[in-house]
Amino acid sequence: MSEEPEFPPAPQVAGTSLDGTKTFTVSADENERLCRSVGVAPAADGSAHPVWYYVATQVAMGKTVAGVCETCEFDVEDGPMMGSSGVRFSAPIMVGQPYKVGGEILSLVRKKSRKLGVMDVLTYRLRLIPADGGAVGGGDAILETDNVWVLPRKELA
Amino acid sequence: MTYAVGDAIAPFTIKTVSPDAMKDWAVFLADPNPIHLDVEVVKAKGLGDRVINQGPINVAYMMNMLMAAFPGGTIEAMDSRFLDNVYGGDKAVASGRITAVDGDRVECEFSLDVEGRGTVNAGTATIRINA
Repeated sequence: MSEEPEFPPAPQVAGTSLDGTKTFTVSADENERLCRSVGVAPAADGSAHPVWYYVATQVAMGKTVAGVCETCEFDVEDGPMMGSSGVRFSAPIMVGQPYKVGGEILSLVRKKSRKLGVMDVLTYRLRLIPADGGAVGGGDAILETDNVWVLPRKELA
Repeated sequence: MTYAVGDAIAPFTIKTVSPDAMKDWAVFLADPNPIHLDVEVVKAKGLGDRVINQGPINVAYMMNMLMAAFPGGTIEAMDSRFLDNVYGGDKAVASGRITAVDGDRVECEFSLDVEGRGTVNAGTATIRINA
């Protein structure tokens, strides 16, 4: 005998493409401003601050943050929260180099926690690829990042 | 320079987390979420009484610590978990230690701690040491 689930399942969004259509370039001026904003000087070797991995992939992916939330049937005004961020670099991000972004939603899992009540845990993967070569599928990516967001489902609490 | 398991990583300190930096990051991220910009919105949402640092800024603090600790080294991999918010005006300190050394690769664990509230981020990283 099976029990009724406590809440409906999360939307089926795994596999949704996040491939971007525009390129992203870190300018020397922006890199300097970003570095200063976090308390360091820019590198002298032409590499950008590595945290651009997060900025570049978010800005140049195929959906906005609000758009990703909408895909998950979640209103961005309800306050998505960052759960974790992981990155694997195979080369540094370079100032002045145009990049494109490929990626996809890996999973959306509905859970219940004591602290947050019902929530959806969203995991998506993005890759940063030099714009002058390589497919967004991944082989030539200079980095791959997996981000996890928590989407609190207040309406199901 | 040699590295050994258990070695502490020199801390990287942000004496005062800057609300002005959050305004810059709203532009960098193309994400004008008002919880990073408007304290009244933070209050209205019941999230506190100061603006909230964007999560990747906290990642940058921890990256700064790693880059300073391993001059000429390269961050190959990094994973960080977001455990609590960092607010404008907070004093934040990134610190860590070496957990493994394998040839030219060093494994580390680290955290970002805020004065008075404890650990707000924690994670691990792999650094390739360039000879």
